[in-house]
Amino acid sequence: MSRQLFRGNLVRLAAVEPEEMSKAMPRWNLDTEYYRMLDSAPPLLWSEKKVKEWIDKDLDKDPAQDLFFSIRTLADDRLIGFMSLFDYSGHTGDALVGIGLGEREYWSKGYGTDAMRVMLDYVFNELNLRRLTLIVFEHNPRGIRSYQKAGFVLEGRVRGAMQRDGRRWDWFWMGILREEWARMQPGE
Amino acid sequence: MENDMLKGKLVRLVAGDPAIEAQEFCRWGANSEYQRLCSTDYALQFSAKKWKEWFEKDMEKDPPLYHYFAIRTLADDRLIGGISLDGAAYPSGETFVGIGIGDETDWGKGYGSDAMNIILRYAFEEMNLRRVALDTFEYNQRGIRSYEKVGFIHEGRMRGYLNRDGRRWDMLFMGILREEWEARNR
Repeated sequence: MSRQLFRGNLVRLAAVEPEEMSKAMPRWNLDTEYYRMLDSAPPLLWSEKKVKEWIDKDLDKDPAQDLFFSIRTLADDRLIGFMSLFDYSGHTGDALVGIGLGEREYWSKGYGTDAMRVMLDYVFNELNLRRLTLIVFEHNPRGIRSYQKAGFVLEGRVRGAMQRDGRRWDWFWMGILREEWARMQPGE
Repeated sequence: MENDMLKGKLVRLVAGDPAIEAQEFCRWGANSEYQRLCSTDYALQFSAKKWKEWFEKDMEKDPPLYHYFAIRTLADDRLIGGISLDGAAYPSGETFVGIGIGDETDWGKGYGSDAMNIILRYAFEEMNLRRVALDTFEYNQRGIRSYEKVGFIHEGRMRGYLNRDGRRWDMLFMGILREEWEARNR
């Protein structure tokens, strides 16, 4: 039990302080490349006020509907993104995971993969899920590689689900089973 | 009469201040080991804002849901944890106690046992209760030793109650009766 659940090699998953996150998110969302990887809906620029209301309402639910974490660097405790777990289903033992790294200078440096590994440890060892699911877009090869590195397998694609910049793009469904994850752990 | 019944040898029990408590609870919660020793709920990350609301809501209830005390060191008045009794102790004369020492560096130093001794004295001499109960988990060997040291007796176990890190763990029930406590403190 002395192992740390929320701590990876580069980042940790921490609480979301509404004041802090509602300042960061509107700034991150100005970056449309970031926004389009995150969401299939057309980018909408929410105000700080609106984001704060959303967080307050969301976090106030008891029990919480979604689990919402901030991603902070271990090196200097900087807030660089967020991670959420939603559509949790007790009887199927499945949930959807979402991740966003708002600070671009942390892209392609292993921060996202590290956060995802922390989340996998948490969902399998603490929440006791059977599997974890995510959706990623065809135009996000960096994300796809990161998820594969963390152990996710491509399970299906929704062909031409999105239209952006004059062409259609697929949605990828990816998933990882508990036993697949267990086999990846050291000592297995 | 004892001069200060909320004072022990290493620590004293004082009122919790929501603003201060919230910051520390948020910081302590970052350590999942602490959370897993305290609670059967799955570990989460609550913001300081959320903790503050919880404290304020909780403490404002009348009668209170818990009798919550902050644990502070006698040596330097440092906030190191919290201890609480269930509010609804009557008419059965029984209460349930919960304790947490936040920082890993304060574990294994007798602070928890000292705080528990104070709360037992409070429960039996001030609230005039008949028994005090607690539950803990199989993997919390340090806690179990501490509870045994202050006089708690093993009363039962719920087998395989918890599922953590890929195996099942028992939940242990412990309790101490008024006469047992009196015999130890005569």
